[in-house]
Amino acid sequence: MNPDGIAVAERAAALVCLYQAAGAAFFVVLFQAQLPEVRGRICRLGAGTALCGIALVLLQPPLMAARMAGDFAGLFNGPLLRVALHSSNGAAHAVQVLGLSLIVIGLRSQRVTAWLAVLGAALAAGALVLTGHTSVRPQRALLASLLSVHLLIVAFWFGALRPLWLAVQHEKLADAARVLRRFSRLAAWLVPCIALAGLSLAWLLIGSWSVLRRAYGLLLVAKLCVFVLLMGLAALNRWRYLPGLAAGSPPARRALQRSIVAEYLLIALVLAMTAALTMLFSPED
Amino acid sequence: MKSSILSLCTLLLWPLAAFAHAHLQQALPADGSVVSSAPAQFTLKFSEAAQLTALSLQKQGEPQARKIEPLPTAASAQFNVPAPKLDPGVYELRFRVVSDDSHVVSGSIHFTVATQ
Repeated sequence: MNPDGIAVAERAAALVCLYQAAGAAFFVVLFQAQLPEVRGRICRLGAGTALCGIALVLLQPPLMAARMAGDFAGLFNGPLLRVALHSSNGAAHAVQVLGLSLIVIGLRSQRVTAWLAVLGAALAAGALVLTGHTSVRPQRALLASLLSVHLLIVAFWFGALRPLWLAVQHEKLADAARVLRRFSRLAAWLVPCIALAGLSLAWLLIGSWSVLRRAYGLLLVAKLCVFVLLMGLAALNRWRYLPGLAAGSPPARRALQRSIVAEYLLIALVLAMTAALTMLFSPED
Repeated sequence: MKSSILSLCTLLLWPLAAFAHAHLQQALPADGSVVSSAPAQFTLKFSEAAQLTALSLQKQGEPQARKIEPLPTAASAQFNVPAPKLDPGVYELRFRVVSDDSHVVSGSIHFTVATQ
């Protein structure tokens, strides 16, 4: 049996846990003072997803060995396991496990150890710069810097959605609205950084539109469609539900929560597509 | 919300940063070829150095592929692997390699050994 499908699904789950855990850590450190009711829940969310992430990351070397062998017998193939552990993926996995462990320690202590949680989140989210295409290109330093900016901000934003849902659910509506507004202000500053880093990476790595005619490009287009859907949700949240929440409207709160859940699921779908893209396809195929 | 716009902008571009794979550039027997005599070895030439981690051969009509072992342990851009004795028929040679950047790449070539 071909292990590729299972490996992609496993990696997608690992990405969701990893970026949820890292993002929850960032969120707690930034917003805990304004969220007395849900701080503990968010810490548990971050620590819990970090523990799941550790388990999933530890499964990846055996799954990589299985992929190298082309069947599940490779899970227990010593030489292939050694190749997996000594590869750049192995290094990234080690850093991810270290980072996730620091998140668990940072978020589980009685008083959040902010520097531990943030360091762990940065390591867990940024570890992917150690592997993949950017790790073997001549402009490695530049590409790694750009990718780091990407990954850290992805972690922050994706990981903030569930904590925001909890804030809307359990905090006073006025407090939740205040946090959402502050969050949006941060977003306004980060938008240019994300766009700049992303466009620079794309320009440095691809340089051709012909990729859009192949499987890789088609998956990118599919992701673009999801992105368009999210843009619609974003507009709805910003201009319709958030003012209602600030005004104390329970229907606006429910609608906003549904919208956040939809955003979360759509972004998780994008993460799954990303796992498939990075493991199974390349623009040259 | 702006958050979703930001995150998706990032996610859309993120995978572009991870596509370095060794690609099969040349194979002997070539893909789709008909050879008059069974090849003594299989040659696989890749776009960059990679480690060959699996090689199997399946004859059309046979239920299972047979693994070809042992494989070279060192990474290389070209592999020459002794072929088993082949009867006339249609074959699929499947391979898996892992690149320097840890990407596992799979592929296959089809060839026919003609009846003498």
